[in-house]
Amino acid sequence: MTKGMLLLFSISVHLSACKPDKEELDQHNGSNQNEEELITTVRASFTQVGGGHTAEFSWVDIDGDGGNAPVITGDTVFVGTSYNATLLLLNESVSPADTVSSEVTDEAEAHQFFFSTTGGSLTWASYGDTDSNGLPIGLLSTWVAMGAGSGSITIILRHELNKSAAGVSNGDITNAGGETDIEVVIPYLVQ
Amino acid sequence: MTVNFKAFLSLLLALPMPIMALAQPDACTIALSGRVIDEHDGQALSFAEVFIPSLGKGSVADEEGRYRIDGLCPGIYELRVAHLGCEPLTQEVRLTKNLVIDFKLEHHAEELKELEVILDRPDENVGHARQALGREAMVGAGGQSIAEMLVTLPGVSMLTSGPSIAKPVIHGLSGNRILTLNQGVRQEDQQWGTDHAPSIDPLSSDRLTVVKGAASVQYGSDAIGGVVIAEPVELPRKPDLSGELRGIGILNGKGGGGSAMLQGGVPGLSGLGWRVQGSGRAVGDGEAARYSLSNTGAREWAASASIGFRDHRRSAALYYSRFERELGILRAAHIGSTTDLQRAIESGVPWYVQDFTYAIDAPRQTVTHHLLKASAGISLTDRNRLDAVYAYQGNARQEYDIRRGGRSARPSLDLFLGTHTGELILKHWLGPHVHGKAGLTGLLQENYNVPGTGVRPLLPDYKRWNAGAFVLEHFPFGERLELEAGARAEATAIDVDLGTGDSPNRRYDFFNHALSAGANWQPGDSLRLRFNVSSAFRPPHVSELHSQGLHHSAAAIEEGDASLGSERALKAVLDAGAATRNGKLRIDATLHAARIDDYIYQRPDGTRLTIRGAFPVFRYTATDAMIMGADLSVQGRLGKGFTAALKGSMVRGRDRVQGDWLFLMPGDRMEISLRKQMKAHGYWRELEAKVSTLIVLRQQRYPTGLDFTDPPPGYQLLNATLSAARRLGMHELRIGIRGSNLLNSAYRDYLDRFRYYADARGIDVQIWLAFIFGKT
Repeated sequence: MTKGMLLLFSISVHLSACKPDKEELDQHNGSNQNEEELITTVRASFTQVGGGHTAEFSWVDIDGDGGNAPVITGDTVFVGTSYNATLLLLNESVSPADTVSSEVTDEAEAHQFFFSTTGGSLTWASYGDTDSNGLPIGLLSTWVAMGAGSGSITIILRHELNKSAAGVSNGDITNAGGETDIEVVIPYLVQ
Repeated sequence: MTVNFKAFLSLLLALPMPIMALAQPDACTIALSGRVIDEHDGQALSFAEVFIPSLGKGSVADEEGRYRIDGLCPGIYELRVAHLGCEPLTQEVRLTKNLVIDFKLEHHAEELKELEVILDRPDENVGHARQALGREAMVGAGGQSIAEMLVTLPGVSMLTSGPSIAKPVIHGLSGNRILTLNQGVRQEDQQWGTDHAPSIDPLSSDRLTVVKGAASVQYGSDAIGGVVIAEPVELPRKPDLSGELRGIGILNGKGGGGSAMLQGGVPGLSGLGWRVQGSGRAVGDGEAARYSLSNTGAREWAASASIGFRDHRRSAALYYSRFERELGILRAAHIGSTTDLQRAIESGVPWYVQDFTYAIDAPRQTVTHHLLKASAGISLTDRNRLDAVYAYQGNARQEYDIRRGGRSARPSLDLFLGTHTGELILKHWLGPHVHGKAGLTGLLQENYNVPGTGVRPLLPDYKRWNAGAFVLEHFPFGERLELEAGARAEATAIDVDLGTGDSPNRRYDFFNHALSAGANWQPGDSLRLRFNVSSAFRPPHVSELHSQGLHHSAAAIEEGDASLGSERALKAVLDAGAATRNGKLRIDATLHAARIDDYIYQRPDGTRLTIRGAFPVFRYTATDAMIMGADLSVQGRLGKGFTAALKGSMVRGRDRVQGDWLFLMPGDRMEISLRKQMKAHGYWRELEAKVSTLIVLRQQRYPTGLDFTDPPPGYQLLNATLSAARRLGMHELRIGIRGSNLLNSAYRDYLDRFRYYADARGIDVQIWLAFIFGKT
């Protein structure tokens, strides 16, 4: 009987060895892992076509989902002006901050931004960049501010979408599919 | 197809009609039935086998020793009656009409007799309603998961996440509210997750039993809704080699599987037996009626080995099993925001549909589950026995998500759950009117997040200890009445590492008790009543205490509540079975009512703005719940080998604090079937055809504001099976074909978590074959 029990214990010890060894366990605390793919920050930098005026829109939630509420910062653009917009995505929960937009560039074929506005004063005009298949990405885009007024910009990033579906390359999200990585709403003012 | 309640009612009422107009017995519809009892004390010999070797046909007696063999032709047969520990009996009978014969068996050895009478009730909960799937039903259901097999029993339904993940639901409860016993050991495989299917190979067991009561006294925490038991297979006691080969082909998913089992003894070492078994299964994408369910393939393999020794006094056994599964999760169910969910609901078709493939991509899961069990027992005296069991389970689970930067190959959830369980049970005999068992149980568990995921863990690291003591006594009064009473006390401690750096771990202590009282009463030969009132408990799971974050496919943020206490249930079950004397009509009914205090569920608690848009927040909250329902099974023989049957179940769940319905209670369901048993044709015997229709009504009782969309409409499915068996010398061959959803109906089930995204599985045809050699 005793022999049998010994055998048993040695087998169970062996089985427990499927677990990562103790050293690894001590080095990392499993419960306390960094959120690598977190996007904390969306920055849209608007520059007047041909140079001149700039505007900065941002949506920032440093601690990710939960915790503190996001900080949303709108800006003002000028009546009758065209702008080039550049998007920057960051993970600022780690130091130094992680540039998530470069991951989007690396996997451009699987990503696309979509833009819409309310209020009618500021409108999205066109994409300014393309992936290797000649389909738009949206890290660069062109915008037009018409008459004075206010409203909000919605920026959506879709991942693993169908970029060749009808209308998608013209910025119509209807047939895009995929999953939403970003969906933020930021106010604007045109004067 | 929509089915309304009136139609359901009229069907219910209309069905018994043909049963009333019973036809005359014809050539091959004779039934042989009766009881198998002990020659000396008249005790029932439960699970005795009554067999007609010339037909290869037989029956296993139920717990009360009752057996029944149907569909016999007139003639003279040699009957063989066998029971563990008894001298087998061979008797010739002449059959001209339905016959009732009671067999009396004599025990081989006097000392063994006492032992077996106690041992032969593997679960001594007389009062609990229970239902089982026997070996033949399981052979015919090969290739299906445990939940898919159990759903054929009234009162059982399943909670699914697309076609690849299914969890059993008993009387409306699932997950941590039902307990699963595999080889007598409580299964610990992260069962809290709604998309975590049980990691058990159904082919490693010969019998699946569902206990439909709150059975915490015997089994400990979590047995609130009931218990699923994958019963261990008895090891052979003779040196002869025997085994089984099975194969299956699956149309929907274009896959198949197989299994092999070999068992025997060791010549010259009486009492030593061994068994090895292995199985595998692979399917590609499932097909709904109108489209492929992309990325729902699955691959599984399992193996087990056991060896055991047993004589009149002592027994010892060692069992090891390994189970591996990789499965794809419906691609279209992977979404990132509430807008995506809204879009999926409005479009009515999955946004991602590709051509059929066997490939499994992210999102996917891989699970490996080990079980090692060592057991030993010794008879202290003729009637008292001590049994000890130790088991270790290791469960490794990886979940892969669709991620950026090539991270899809890295798991976003990587958990290892190690569980040690032990029990010491004393079966004791205090006199003819008091006997039962008392025991100590213990559990030590550690959950560990394997580093390297790059994702904040859904479930923190924790350790859990549990110790319990119970006593369960039986009080037989004559042959017809048996009472039962029991009690358990249990303490649980949980130590959670919240991963917040140097802050101390969070410690929880729970102390619970359970009581039960039951009666088994047989007022007449054709009527049996069981009644049980019992309590059960469940300390909150760490996921309910500390969950925090976004649940992708649910498009919701889940928040735990560290102040939650244990759930406490009080459940009453009345189970009645009645049959006409000629056995032509048989009715079984189960009525149940459970009150669950501090029932934990997710309650909406506003919305939270995240970078993916606004998400509803669901916070784990306790309420008081009341769940009631009824299961019904009616079976009538119509003559000419035809049998009609109806099985139905309904459950009603109320939230007593909110005054509303409970979320995700199964809709009313009913199965009507017609079975034809045919005469032997050439070498083929046990020819049987069955056509059935499953009707599930739309769930109209659901809470307001908890779900993203209303429950889907009811549906009706057409299923059919054909099976036959033949003897090949000493061996036996069984074949069958099973068709489900034969009309290829497009439908969605309320208990499918992916019903927002895609239809359920369309038509499926499975062909199976089993070759049993060296039958013991």
